Amino acid sequence: MNLPQSVYDSRPWIQHYGSMPAELKTPEYNNVVEMIVRSAEQFAARKAFTAVTANGMNGTLSYAKADEHSDAFAVYLREHLGLKEGARVAIQMPNCLTFPVAAFGILKAGCVLVNVNPLYTAVEMEKQFIDSGVEALVIVDMFADKLTDILPRTQVKHVILTSVSEMFPPVVKQVIKLVQRYWNRMIPKCEVQTTPFRETLHKGYELKQNRQIAVKTYWEHLTRDSVAVLQYTGGTTGIAKGAMLTHGNLLTNVDQIHATGVAHNDERQEVMLTALPLYHIFAFSVNLLAFHHMGGNNILIPSPRPISNLRRAIENYPVTWMTGVNTLFNALLNEDWFKVYPPKHLHAAIAGGAALHQAVAKRWAEVTGTRLVEGYGLTETSPVITFNPLEGKVRPGSIGVPVPGTDVRIVDDQGRPVPVGESGELIVQGPQVMLGYWNRDEETAKAVKDGWFYTGDMARMDEDGFFYIVDRKKDMILVSGFNVYPNEVEDCIAKIDAVQEVAVIGVPDQGTGEAVRAYVVKRDEVTAEEVRQHCLKALARYKVPKQVEFRDELPKTPIGKVLRKDLRQEYLQQHAQ
Amino acid sequence: MLQPWEQSLLNLMMIVIMLGMGASLTFKDFRLAFRQPQAILIGFASQYLFMPLIAFILARSLGLSQLHTVALVLMGCIPGGTTSNLFAYFSRSVLGLSILMTVCSTLAAVIMVPATLALYTAGIDAEFRIPSDNVAAILFVLLIPTVLGIVLRRSNANVGAVTELIGGVVGVLVILFLIGAYIPRNLDLLSTTPKEIYIAAIGLGLCGFLIGYWFSRALRLNSAKARTVSLETGIQNGPLAILIVGMTFEGTQQQEMLLIPVLYSMFIVFTSSLITIYYRARSLKEELARDQAKVEPA
Repeated sequence: MNLPQSVYDSRPWIQHYGSMPAELKTPEYNNVVEMIVRSAEQFAARKAFTAVTANGMNGTLSYAKADEHSDAFAVYLREHLGLKEGARVAIQMPNCLTFPVAAFGILKAGCVLVNVNPLYTAVEMEKQFIDSGVEALVIVDMFADKLTDILPRTQVKHVILTSVSEMFPPVVKQVIKLVQRYWNRMIPKCEVQTTPFRETLHKGYELKQNRQIAVKTYWEHLTRDSVAVLQYTGGTTGIAKGAMLTHGNLLTNVDQIHATGVAHNDERQEVMLTALPLYHIFAFSVNLLAFHHMGGNNILIPSPRPISNLRRAIENYPVTWMTGVNTLFNALLNEDWFKVYPPKHLHAAIAGGAALHQAVAKRWAEVTGTRLVEGYGLTETSPVITFNPLEGKVRPGSIGVPVPGTDVRIVDDQGRPVPVGESGELIVQGPQVMLGYWNRDEETAKAVKDGWFYTGDMARMDEDGFFYIVDRKKDMILVSGFNVYPNEVEDCIAKIDAVQEVAVIGVPDQGTGEAVRAYVVKRDEVTAEEVRQHCLKALARYKVPKQVEFRDELPKTPIGKVLRKDLRQEYLQQHAQ
Repeated sequence: MLQPWEQSLLNLMMIVIMLGMGASLTFKDFRLAFRQPQAILIGFASQYLFMPLIAFILARSLGLSQLHTVALVLMGCIPGGTTSNLFAYFSRSVLGLSILMTVCSTLAAVIMVPATLALYTAGIDAEFRIPSDNVAAILFVLLIPTVLGIVLRRSNANVGAVTELIGGVVGVLVILFLIGAYIPRNLDLLSTTPKEIYIAAIGLGLCGFLIGYWFSRALRLNSAKARTVSLETGIQNGPLAILIVGMTFEGTQQQEMLLIPVLYSMFIVFTSSLITIYYRARSLKEELARDQAKVEPA
């Protein structure tokens, strides 16, 4: 059903690439490990990862150390645990030094990495472990108690225990452990049999030495088509399914990220503030893979909430880049210490994961003097699809242009491309699109048709080839037959100075079918009527919220995406009678 | 009376506490605090205007001796202690404000303590008064570790953070140490101490809590900030007062004068614990109220 004359086929966006290459360069590496090992050789003495706690305590791994440790961990997995190539190994932890060592180690062992959200409940963990067939698990001590009941029902045979302070200087490590255990009481008793992460490294080093193992033999034959990561998605919409991301998918996306110019490989080392969790695809590809590849120092923040947890990291390190979601940037812009002393060395900040409100982008530019550029992508696309070129004029509200080597179309319900400026579903084709969903052919067939991945996002393209997300298809509100996109209404309300955060949903309404309902978190005093009056000035009457409710906070995913579905569900439950 | 080694240990502990306090700060914190100085100024006023005045009025109305009057006024003039930060944390008050108030009142103490002390003890025999330059010298010695702490944290974040933690722990230990060192040896003295002294030592802190809270509320600080100011005003740096008395007086004079700061330090642990439990409940109740406000449709 290809329509060759579609306006999208000529890639009209390429004219705005500036210094960006129009096509992807010839692939340099056969698999992700090759890339990691190359960086380790090139930047051996540089700092690769620095984990920073809320009170400023920190531990650092150099490129060389991260490489050696992950080699040892790979040897442990293959020789001591006897895992085979392709075996699934899960990691479940907040940002800490173990994350990169374990993740790189798993890939070096030729195994498949399964990223698990540490905030999952035991039930969710069980589902994901069973679905992915995980054999070994590296888990942080804070959440290990959830394993007790579920472990026997899964295929998990080996549990490796780590802590947020792993690989910190010895005294600091002990202090953190004491505080966590006896003061904050955040280390529950773990009742399953576990091996400390430290021991796995010792064992790995020992075996490697004794058996003269060349770790390379585990991974050198892996190709770009081999599955590297099972990345679970669907958390905000429904049942979680594992997107199979291949080595090629990830390598392509790293190249695409570099093409946009977000990571320079110059003399001075980039310092990347990694406040988003690495188990999420955004930080995994952009921070852990792309910035690491360019010799950057990743500043790992175990928990960005409360937002004051970022303060010491921002004060103590010359941060040059940071990634985040709308809510994280918004939270920072509400902190005095950040507003008065924004990071001095910042080049720009990258927003993704959820729609960036224009008001936040504008305030960010005012406060920091740098751009907050929005990109767009999904778990299934490794994740970057579009990005705003760093050069050229700012286009408020745009998610930018497709990254090199990527085709994007806007289509109607029948899959036919729509004219420029019209809204439709955004579909994408490119080497970063996943292989499919793990063991779910039916779901894969629904999402990938004729080689195009259907994102479920409503968007439009302007004359210049810049894209604008209108909204999630399922979040669209139908008021008296008119489409209302929550994003547009949220963006309008967020411009009110007294508003800190806002979420908009559609609720059943006897008169209009659905009605617009806004949830507002105040910064200063503001009334529902003032909110409505403000909207009336900028929006068509049917888009103005009929109902406005004030709240102290909004339900969010661990990375800070506002959960409209939870608000909707809550409303429906309350109004069921 | 404190033994020389106890006096030295007390000195050392104060230095560690001040190092820790310095390590919790950067110079930016001060500049930030003075951008919106209302809360700090209100705290400052209740610290240096009201506390010495309360101490003076208490001493007069209870008819305390000259020696005890000097000790009580000293107790009132002394800046806030680091334990107030700990209680601010427990009571879910505004920790940042608490720390900054402690620091600001401690920094200003070099000038404010000798000045207020001189003012309120002007009519007292010279031999009982605490020489102003003596107080200033001791305070100045404590400022050095504070600045060192700030520098320490700048140069090594790990050392800074560990120092900060140790300072907090020593802050609690020092009170236990002082009570342990003084009380067993002075049981006779304590049992013959008139109830006025007890009332004064306990009342000073309680009045501080009350006036700190209502003064802040009157000047329209929100309740969380008012609770912070309240704790900060009521909780004084007992060990510092003991240090000053210990280094100024000797023999029975010292022993008599130490009664006030030691009793104060002992009872402030109980009273501020009770206040903290109450404040914590209030904080939680307010948080819950905000939480429940969510489900009411607008």
